[in-house]
Amino acid sequence: MLALVAAHLALAGLLPLLSARSHRAAFLVGALLPAGALVWGLANAARALGDGVTETTSWAPALGLSFSFRLDALGLVMLVLVAGLGALILAYSAWYFGPDSPEAARSAALLLAFAGAMLGLVLADDLLTLYVFWELTSIASFLLVGQGGEDRASRRAAVQALLVTVFGGLAMLLGFVLLGEAAGTYRISELLAEPPRGPMVGAALVLVLIGAFTKSAQLPFHPWLPAAMVAPTPVSAYLHAASMVQAGVYLVARLSPAFAGLALWWVPVVVAGLGTMLVGGWHALHETDLKRLLAFGTVSQLGFLMVLFGGGGRFGDVTALAGMAMLLAHGLFKASLFLVVGILDKRAGGRDVRELSGVGRALPGLAVMSVLATASMAGLPPLLGFVGKEAAFEAFLDGGGTPGLLIALGLLAGSVLTVAYSARFLWGAFASKPGVAAAQPQRPEAGLTVPAWLPALGGLALGLAYPLVDTLARGYAAAYPPTGAEYHLALWHGPGLPLLFSALAVALGAGLHRLREPVTAMHRRLRTPVSAQRAYELTVAGVERVAVLVTGRIQVGSLPTYLAVILTAVLLLPGTALVLGTTLPDEQVLYHAPMQVPLGVFVLIAALGLVRARRRFTAVLLVGVIGYGIGGLFVVDGAPDLALAQFLVETLTLVVFVLVLRRLPAHFREARSPRRVALPKALIAIAGGAMVASSAVVVSGARQQAVSDVSREYIRLAPEGAGAYNVVNAILVDFRALDTVGEITVLLIAAAGTASLVLATRYDRHRAERVISGSGGPEHEEEVLG
Amino acid sequence: MTERIPWERWDEPHEPWLLPGRCPDRSERTLLLEMTTRVVFPTILVFSLYLLLVGHYSPGGGFSGGLVAGLAFVLRYIAGGRQDIGGAVRIRPPVVIGLGLTIAVLTALAPALAGNAVLSSAMWEVELPLLGTLEVVSSLLLDVGVYLLIVGVALDLLRSLGAGIEQDARAAGERM
Amino acid sequence: MITINLSMALVVGALYAVGFYLLLQRSLMRVLLGIVVIGHGANLLLQLAGGPPGRAPIVGDAPPEAMTDPLPQALALTAIVITFALTTFLLALGYRSWVLLGHDEVQDDIEDRRVARRQRPAGAMEEESDAEPEQRAGADQ
Repeated sequence: MLALVAAHLALAGLLPLLSARSHRAAFLVGALLPAGALVWGLANAARALGDGVTETTSWAPALGLSFSFRLDALGLVMLVLVAGLGALILAYSAWYFGPDSPEAARSAALLLAFAGAMLGLVLADDLLTLYVFWELTSIASFLLVGQGGEDRASRRAAVQALLVTVFGGLAMLLGFVLLGEAAGTYRISELLAEPPRGPMVGAALVLVLIGAFTKSAQLPFHPWLPAAMVAPTPVSAYLHAASMVQAGVYLVARLSPAFAGLALWWVPVVVAGLGTMLVGGWHALHETDLKRLLAFGTVSQLGFLMVLFGGGGRFGDVTALAGMAMLLAHGLFKASLFLVVGILDKRAGGRDVRELSGVGRALPGLAVMSVLATASMAGLPPLLGFVGKEAAFEAFLDGGGTPGLLIALGLLAGSVLTVAYSARFLWGAFASKPGVAAAQPQRPEAGLTVPAWLPALGGLALGLAYPLVDTLARGYAAAYPPTGAEYHLALWHGPGLPLLFSALAVALGAGLHRLREPVTAMHRRLRTPVSAQRAYELTVAGVERVAVLVTGRIQVGSLPTYLAVILTAVLLLPGTALVLGTTLPDEQVLYHAPMQVPLGVFVLIAALGLVRARRRFTAVLLVGVIGYGIGGLFVVDGAPDLALAQFLVETLTLVVFVLVLRRLPAHFREARSPRRVALPKALIAIAGGAMVASSAVVVSGARQQAVSDVSREYIRLAPEGAGAYNVVNAILVDFRALDTVGEITVLLIAAAGTASLVLATRYDRHRAERVISGSGGPEHEEEVLG
Repeated sequence: MTERIPWERWDEPHEPWLLPGRCPDRSERTLLLEMTTRVVFPTILVFSLYLLLVGHYSPGGGFSGGLVAGLAFVLRYIAGGRQDIGGAVRIRPPVVIGLGLTIAVLTALAPALAGNAVLSSAMWEVELPLLGTLEVVSSLLLDVGVYLLIVGVALDLLRSLGAGIEQDARAAGERM
Repeated sequence: MITINLSMALVVGALYAVGFYLLLQRSLMRVLLGIVVIGHGANLLLQLAGGPPGRAPIVGDAPPEAMTDPLPQALALTAIVITFALTTFLLALGYRSWVLLGHDEVQDDIEDRRVARRQRPAGAMEEESDAEPEQRAGADQ
């Protein structure tokens, strides 16, 4: 399975080469791979419905990371949608994009890459693997919606889709980690076998649901989906109708068997799902753009699917059966309808309800096919949508109690809206409208119509072949607690409440469509100032404003301020730990050797003088004095090697300083800082020094003996092992010689850097561009700032 | 017997005996410093070699030796200016640095050829006539590398911060 | 338990304090001197942390128990040389800054000050959407 996914991604990388020759060939070659995946999935269907097909490839065994894949009933349904529709839509794109469309090359590669990522997502049996593919699909969606990035609307829609879905994705990742840690495994199949419980799992589930809701455009995250309709129609059909947006539903369906019993899981899913179904349907009623109409329809249907998959644990396995049927049905009819809109857009001159007229008469075949697909959407027999909807009503009405009845009524309301906007779609696309000039559409090629026909016919075929769907759905629903009477998906269950609900939905929906004008007027009056899109915009603008404010406050552009902040952090964090966590060692001595005191005083005086020095040369000399004083302390301490090096280095440093000082002005130019600046600096510095001194005393208390065990070994080994009696030298050139090699490398780099910096001036001169000293002075900066 | 030197010019120098070899056109020369440097310079270099070799037994080693040698060149620069350094060292400083690092790294890697761990050292005892036994340790070579590198760094600093800044100043028309 | 004695702790603390103070100045030369002084303090601290004074760690000159700990000395020696390398490099940086700018002081970053002055981000979502009310109306709900 990994090979299958990888093949998609690899071929996607190669497609641009082919696109350079012929766009059509690129799309058609690309379509072969998803078709192959579909064939592979169907060939393994029997095994998938049995124990499932599994495959694991470890890629970082030390970290316990692996790519795990598993094909089971749910995976198979998604595979059929992803691979089957993927192949059809790629083929359709071959005719949709014109021969010199600038988007074709990019779209071909991205669509195929997306198909690969989506395939990985639905086959993943590991939470982290799933996450990786999940985000890949978000990125593919961003690129496909944004297209060339030349159009502002595309850019905004793409950014919105990316921000919302990636925000959800990150929340989901957090949830996955919590879940995986609580369960001790990231394998989904193991997780489902032994679901973890506990407060951490509760938090994890909420986070995972955020991910699922954003991806599947649930309330209140839904506005990104209609906005994404700026993408080319094949992209909308594939990503934003049939596959990617179903990923959230898929995730809920995947995890529901383990958690559906928890109110924390099913209540938010059902509530958000119902709300989304109603809000989406209500908006679909008033859209004039057929694509946006379908997009709101998708939002509504996704809400419906959420309800079905979320309610499985509470309301029994029939909801799961209904969910599987509706998942399949939705993918098929929605893809078909989007492809129809694409054809209208390309061949009938638009997709606006107010402008299209008489298309049905001109293109009867297309109209028939649309009726077929819409009927499935509206839930008319004998189509798959009807089978699913019947089961849905049955599930909540039969033994669901009051909550079940309420949900069923909510679904009924949603279905009424669905029927109404289905009718609106047909009316808007194909009806002859008085006062609008009849469109003169061109005949679409078979390359456009066949991919649209196939899913529509699939809805009909599967509706008639309902036992097949029943077997498939049962493979998934077996994970749920069974309801009392055994239920099978079928076209005819005899008269009963579900049938009544279905009939009511169709009747009321048709009525609503007739009343469309007063209803639209009401919709306009009802427009509220609170909207999810506005909330999204305000959130993003707020984040940006906060970022500017915080950056302005924190990044003030002054080096001393930054350093002061760092020093304060050092004081506050380790300083507090030092004060709270340790006690001063009780035995304290004033000095170990009498000579330490005068040398110390010597160094102290030089240091204090350094602070007050106004001349560069004085300051440098005082630093030299400090250095020699420290060399003296080294001598007292019994470290002659160190002292020698210190004296020599100090001399060389002094010389180097003086060499540079030859050209620098004698005095520091800096004006004496005002008291309110100098005092805090001094206080921070003194506090820092005090902290270093006290931690030096406390920390050095860890030493228990004059010579540590390591050094004892060094001393013992030096004459024999290193042939050196000077142990310090033995350490430098033998025991820790690697340090020395590294150190001299640093020296080399420093010397090279110094030479480059100084000699660069000569280079500037060679270019005959005289460096004008002072061109970057404060005056100049003031000028720039204005 | 060569050419007779007139009695009044017997003490006139016949060969370059001040450091730069020719009299530089500079007002700030210290004759005393130049002469002292001329005398002391070889001595300091020998002392630096001593420090390098004695490092295994008493304070010293590649670092200290290299620094001392570097300071010797600093002294020459101070006394004789940049022409003198150029005259004394014909090899370019970066080459010296690179040579030092190369020696050190090769010394580090050589044991690997014999199948030993990198940076392990070997000892040989050499019987020298008259002088007795001499212990030679391979890690001395590492010290030699360090020594060369540090001398090179000191020379390079004289080239960049010394002569380089001097040239900058002259180009800017400043007196140094 | 062997700790650093109080007078030496004072010296180390004072060196760090002076170093920190110089680091907080605007003149690059002072900042550099601050780094050098902190380097001195750190080297001294390294050496002092190695225990009380004793005999030089040279086998044969002194019995092992009278020696000072050689390991901190070796580390401090490395640190001294590295500080030197760093100093020369920073010195060259300061010099270059002086050559190019005519001063060796750290100025405030102009770009940062511009950001601090700005009240709202350029091209924020909100402004864009204000500009296109029609386009948003469709997406409104």
